Amino acid sequence: MRVALADDQPDVIEFMSSILEELDHIAVTFPDGERLSQALMRDTFDLVILDWNMPKKDGLAVLNWMKDAIKEAPPVIMMTSRTAKNDITAALNAGADDYITKPEDRNVIAARISAMLRRSGNSGSFETKATYGKYTLDRIEHNVSYDDKEVTLTAKEFELIDLLFRNRDRTMSRDYIMETIWRTNAALTTRTLDMHISRVRSKLNLKPENGFRIFTVFGYGYRLETLS
Amino acid sequence: MTIRLRLIIEWFIILLLANLTVICFTYWNITSAFDNLLYDGISDSARPAADDNILIIAIDEQSLAQNGKWPWSRLLHAQLIEQIKPLNPRSISLDIILSDKSTEEEDKALAEAFYADSQAQQPAIFMPLHSVSPGENGKAYDIIYPNQAFIKSDDNIGHVNLTFDNDGVLRRFNICFQADEAGKQWPHLMERIYQNRHGRPSETMQKAAQNKLCEKPRMIPYSKRDTIAQISYSDVQKGNIPRAFVEGKDIIIGATANGLGDNYPTPSSDGGLLSGVEIMANMLGALERNDFITPVPLWQTIIILLLPIWLLLLSFLRLQPRQILIISAIIFFGLFGLCAFLLYFGYWLAPGPALVALLIAYPLWGWRRLQTVSYFMGKKLKELEAEEDSIPFHSKKKKSLDLIGRQRDTLDQAIDNIRSLRRFVTDTLSGLPDPMFVINLENEVILSNDILDSRLETSLVGRSLSEAIETLVCEEDRPAVYNYINATDDQNHNMLIDQEKVVRMNYNETSSMGFVRFSSKRGRNFVMRRTELLSDEGDLRGYIHYLADISALAKADAQREEMLQLLSHDMRAPQSAILALLDGKIDDQAKKSIASNSKRTLQLAQDFVEIARMGETPFDGEEIMIDNLIDDVIDSLWPLAKEKKIKITLSNNNEGSFIIGEIDSLSRAFMNLLDNAIKFSPESSEVYVKIKNMTFGNTPMISITIEDEGPGIVNNMLPTLFDRFTSNRSKEGRAQGTGLGLSFVSAVISRHNGSINADNKRNSGAIFSILLPESIIEEA
Repeated sequence: MRVALADDQPDVIEFMSSILEELDHIAVTFPDGERLSQALMRDTFDLVILDWNMPKKDGLAVLNWMKDAIKEAPPVIMMTSRTAKNDITAALNAGADDYITKPEDRNVIAARISAMLRRSGNSGSFETKATYGKYTLDRIEHNVSYDDKEVTLTAKEFELIDLLFRNRDRTMSRDYIMETIWRTNAALTTRTLDMHISRVRSKLNLKPENGFRIFTVFGYGYRLETLS
Repeated sequence: MTIRLRLIIEWFIILLLANLTVICFTYWNITSAFDNLLYDGISDSARPAADDNILIIAIDEQSLAQNGKWPWSRLLHAQLIEQIKPLNPRSISLDIILSDKSTEEEDKALAEAFYADSQAQQPAIFMPLHSVSPGENGKAYDIIYPNQAFIKSDDNIGHVNLTFDNDGVLRRFNICFQADEAGKQWPHLMERIYQNRHGRPSETMQKAAQNKLCEKPRMIPYSKRDTIAQISYSDVQKGNIPRAFVEGKDIIIGATANGLGDNYPTPSSDGGLLSGVEIMANMLGALERNDFITPVPLWQTIIILLLPIWLLLLSFLRLQPRQILIISAIIFFGLFGLCAFLLYFGYWLAPGPALVALLIAYPLWGWRRLQTVSYFMGKKLKELEAEEDSIPFHSKKKKSLDLIGRQRDTLDQAIDNIRSLRRFVTDTLSGLPDPMFVINLENEVILSNDILDSRLETSLVGRSLSEAIETLVCEEDRPAVYNYINATDDQNHNMLIDQEKVVRMNYNETSSMGFVRFSSKRGRNFVMRRTELLSDEGDLRGYIHYLADISALAKADAQREEMLQLLSHDMRAPQSAILALLDGKIDDQAKKSIASNSKRTLQLAQDFVEIARMGETPFDGEEIMIDNLIDDVIDSLWPLAKEKKIKITLSNNNEGSFIIGEIDSLSRAFMNLLDNAIKFSPESSEVYVKIKNMTFGNTPMISITIEDEGPGIVNNMLPTLFDRFTSNRSKEGRAQGTGLGLSFVSAVISRHNGSINADNKRNSGAIFSILLPESIIEEA
């Protein structure tokens, strides 16, 4: 697939290009936001990876411009060394689909890119049983088995873990998660979601040593990361 | 216009008014009634003795009873003359009108009685000359001569005109009378007697002749009533009159009976009217004694009377109101004294106009001055009220009805305002957060504020500048301070500071700095600035000395210095390590080392940024589930732990507790703690993370402890472990920590109202306990 990559640092461009090549994607690179914007007007991409701090037009400006100017805009991954919570939520709320803080592990970046492309492409059919690493989800029995153990979950817990696994390596907002599982977010406090996450995490022992990690994007949502 | 100018104008107006009063009143004799009264009063106190060479033969009530109603037959008079002529009188004057004709027989008998020879010496006979005013045909007077039968020549005639003052009292005496300019000058009847006595005109007559002024008024000093020898007409008729009574005397025959109308009011206080003959006897006495009283002439009077006025008005300008009152009294009574004194010497000064002027001027001045002062006071008060930079203190507004009341209210308010202002200024000065003191030009401390007093535990007020400096400044900094003071001293101002104390340092540098730094005796750092204290007119009044305690700043400076050094070292060390590694063979081990060194630099930078952010922004927390937070932290450090084969065990006794926190700083803090724990742990050991709920007092808290199995913390490091830049747990070759790490953690935890504590386990290993307040959601 074609991925547009905009960053003013050649090192980063090279590094990212190599990851994309490994994933069999085509990387089209731009040194600044202005050139990227021009290209977006006449060309189609499956994914845009944007640096925040760029000359001429910074990442946030490109994001805002895309919202108005491009119909059926491709998903965007924002990539920056800004790690403060407010910066991350600002980018996500401006329309970025995911956010990668620099520096980040090569494998993590690869997984996040794949997750984004998976979603934007054909995200898969319904299967009664799905296996992700150690974990096997039985969508009929609503239980999860790993390490020869079988863990029974409540309906909501199962829906949550199913949602996280289906959208692994993708950052999902709280609102999205709550609307998907509870259909409404009106009567819910964020505490309910936090406590469900916590319970699922400990019940399934979702820890790096088991190949997965639940990452909290504070002020925004959650992401299930696969670790290789 | 200034109040002074205005007052001087008012003064001139009053001066003019007083002068006009004196001049006009004197000229038109307006106060004559009062002056006459005064004259009567004063002259009454000193009466001359009567002339004892006069005998009055009085036609009194007794005589009328004996001889029937007036006028009598002239035969009676002739008989009387003939009776007394043998007794040898010096002269016989008749104050009886004998101008009309009677029967020839009677006239002849009387004329014979006057002039017929006898054995006795012929006395001089004087007849009165009357005048009627106004006269016929527009003449001023008609002169009525006595019957020609009774006179031998004009020398026998003297005028008897009386001149009354305008209060109808008879005080004056005209020595001679002239009906018109061409007319003959008639001496007074008494002057005739005088000339007959002495053979020459009286001195009064001589003066009148010299000045050709008959009617220049002279005032008669009256003798006491009934002291002039007097005998009843009827007694003479009866013949019982001793010779010595008559011999050598000047006889005046006249009416004294009330019914005959020849009685006039005189100034004598012993009551009643005085008969014409007695008045004439008094005139003769005065001629004899030559003690007529002369009124001071008009212009001299005016000048004399103006003097006390000017004196009083000058005193208005120079003296205090109480002194003015005394001066006025002195002038007032002094004038009476002067009049009495002059009267004693035969001059009469009418003081009325001056007294009136004094009585007008004094209260007038009092009024005008009060008015002017009041006006200006009102104006000044209004100005004071309207002054822009005055502080608007509000006070109750009572409105009085009258002007003075309103002014009093305004004044009250102004005084209130000034008091408030003064208190405000004093309070502001005393309340200034920085020490300050003020000296006057004598280098004496006149004001010091509360903070300085409390710092020194004594007040500097009243001490000299040198003493103040010795109290404040440590010994080695004193020369610099003196130097600064001298540099800022006004050049014309005598330097009273002991010159020997001044070490000439870098003069220009000190003065251009505009302040001086010094250490106090207690080791605190101060900056002193000196400012001129100027009066409203720009005169130098003294100096203000501001002291600023810069100890905190100095400390911050030192800390920043320390931090920069530490940062530069801590930042530089890993970077140098990376560069060194890149020079060598790049194998997997080298790559790992490079990565770890980079991460350390990164962590330092992030800590630093976070610390800076915390210093600048207020706390902005959100609800965080503590489990998630700790899980995230453990998960993100898992690669590090895995590398050293360290197991991180989380024991969680809490169920879904939340805290209010700032996620960025809080997760960095736990990251640092856990990172340290992993770093200091030996390989294949365990790190325990425990989360517990507990209550601290009534406050629900969450306790998080992180324990490792490393060597622990050197005991003497424990107390200062969380201070900034004390790096680090031990110096025994253990993996180096970051300089910021623990102080950053401590700062974050206290920002969250929590506490952190470090200790060693009994066997080995460090234990960090953190308490954070739990956020309890209130169930609806």
